[in-house]
Amino acid sequence: MKRLTLVSLVVLLAFLISACGTGASTESWPGLAADSSQVYLASGQFVYAVRLSDGSKVWQYPDKAGPQLFYSPPVLTPDGQLLVGSSGTDYGLTSLDPATGQTKWAAPFVARNHWVAPPLVEGETIFAANNDGALYGLELATGRMLWHLPLGGSLWGAPATNGKLVFVASLDHHLYAVDPSKQALAWKLDLGGSAPGTVSVSHDGSTVYAGSFGKKVFGVDAAGGSVRWTTDVKDWVWGAPVLASDSVYTADIGGHIYSLGAPNGKNAWPDILPDGPITGSPLALADGMLVATESGTVFAYDSTGSKLWDTVIGGKVYTAPIAAGDRIAVAPTGTDFLLAALDQNGKLLWKFTGK
Amino acid sequence: MWNEFIIFPFTNVLLWIYDAIGHNFGIAIILFTILIRAITWPLNAQQLKSTKVMQDLQQDKEWQAIQKKYAKDREKLAQEQMRVYKERGINPFASCLPTLIQFPIIIGLYQSIIHALAATPLGLLQLARSIYPFMNAAQLIPLNSKFLWMDLGRPEGIAFPAGFSIPFLPNGFPTLAIIVAATTYLQTKATMPPSGSSPGGQGAAMNSMMSVYMPLLLGYFALNFASGLAVYFVASNVLGIVQYASMGRVNWRNLLPGGGQPSPAPGKKT
Repeated sequence: MKRLTLVSLVVLLAFLISACGTGASTESWPGLAADSSQVYLASGQFVYAVRLSDGSKVWQYPDKAGPQLFYSPPVLTPDGQLLVGSSGTDYGLTSLDPATGQTKWAAPFVARNHWVAPPLVEGETIFAANNDGALYGLELATGRMLWHLPLGGSLWGAPATNGKLVFVASLDHHLYAVDPSKQALAWKLDLGGSAPGTVSVSHDGSTVYAGSFGKKVFGVDAAGGSVRWTTDVKDWVWGAPVLASDSVYTADIGGHIYSLGAPNGKNAWPDILPDGPITGSPLALADGMLVATESGTVFAYDSTGSKLWDTVIGGKVYTAPIAAGDRIAVAPTGTDFLLAALDQNGKLLWKFTGK
Repeated sequence: MWNEFIIFPFTNVLLWIYDAIGHNFGIAIILFTILIRAITWPLNAQQLKSTKVMQDLQQDKEWQAIQKKYAKDREKLAQEQMRVYKERGINPFASCLPTLIQFPIIIGLYQSIIHALAATPLGLLQLARSIYPFMNAAQLIPLNSKFLWMDLGRPEGIAFPAGFSIPFLPNGFPTLAIIVAATTYLQTKATMPPSGSSPGGQGAAMNSMMSVYMPLLLGYFALNFASGLAVYFVASNVLGIVQYASMGRVNWRNLLPGGGQPSPAPGKKT
């Protein structure tokens, strides 16, 4: 019996030890959306609506923690819905009322894996990219699945479109272009490494910009998938390259930021390292850009690469800040608040703790 | 420290094997198991030696006399047993050591499998940072988690027919969990030391309990945790039988009803 007791204690210890380990349980991967009066934050097991003026909570979804887990930013649709995809065991894609947080519909189909990529809404169709490697076409009003197209790998970046084709990057190293009218693949391009971020499309729809773990940023012809230019960067590109005027702003997880010329990919800036790894996309400003680093600091630069200001938020910032009215919303993790708002000069206005 | 000394090295060894064999994570787990078994074999050999000593002790006249004399005085019995252990240089826990060593390895392997398969953005970032510089991380990521019919990062199960489900089996028919339980039972029984001169005694009861307890426990793990861990269990069980058989220590009669005869000396056929 002593040996059995000893083995039982070891088994119990095994369970306890297995509950420890990588230390990721207290950190999440929050996502943001905003309209003129509210910021919507998907973080951990909840989606929150927060008043822009003072950071007070308007509602949260669900009321109590359940199987949902949110890694995907919420998306506001033109017809007044807030779409949220869950990475929890439910694999749910849900439409909420932005004013009240009440459920409008929950996707009446079963995706085979969780949602990391936010959906794209174009016309009456939702283009939703799933971790199972498929792009789903859903009816905007009801969430009913119209079609789905297996592409490959895991799709973590939001789809983008030029009105004709839908573009989505995959962890399997490819950029896929889908013709939604035919529900078929138009072309695909090897990016030399995983691409967890969203891609960007030029204003005229002719060029797609994508970064990858291959330490490269690409300018790709949208119609045929041929590479117009490739720029080597110093480290893995996680977030989406962001187009502003004729510059493509991007950052890498080594902490370097770049301003690449949209026509040719040439870096117009010297080697700039704000202060830590950058996984979120830059935010384009009226003149320049803004990034948040894993060190918990937000930096703003003008179009020449000169720093305008920096503000220490705290915690770790993995995801992209967004513009919310005349404010900037940033969602850190690993700290005692979930959301912070800054003004255009970097002054901290309020923090939201989730309560 | 656990990450730096266990998770990261395990993960990188797994990735190195995975890259070397053409990006098959299931085979990488099996080869990693072989490596672990090879490294821990000296401990297993020591365990066999200790077990044999304990078996011989059961037949010793002085030992049997002590058992009889102090049958009703547990405290005195324990004292006398410890005296005999000490006089003869026997460590009664030596046979437990390989079992104890296995558990941190199991925990470390499970966590490194989940770590390597990185199903979330934060997991992928942490994986990227744990890969040693000499590995070509950009080409390795993402890992191919498919092996045979399984996704190694998820519990295994073969889907039930449409419209049919079993509430406590959300992942489908647990084929791999059954294989884990079966191979664990086979290994436990076939490598079990004889229960000594009294088949109905405490030793026999212990052996019988372990041959039920361990398969159920590991089957439960296989049912609920990532199937990569179950692949490790099956590989480890099969290797265990092979290792013991190579030393002539497997007692196939234990698998038969009413088995439990002493295993033959090495080199002699059963």
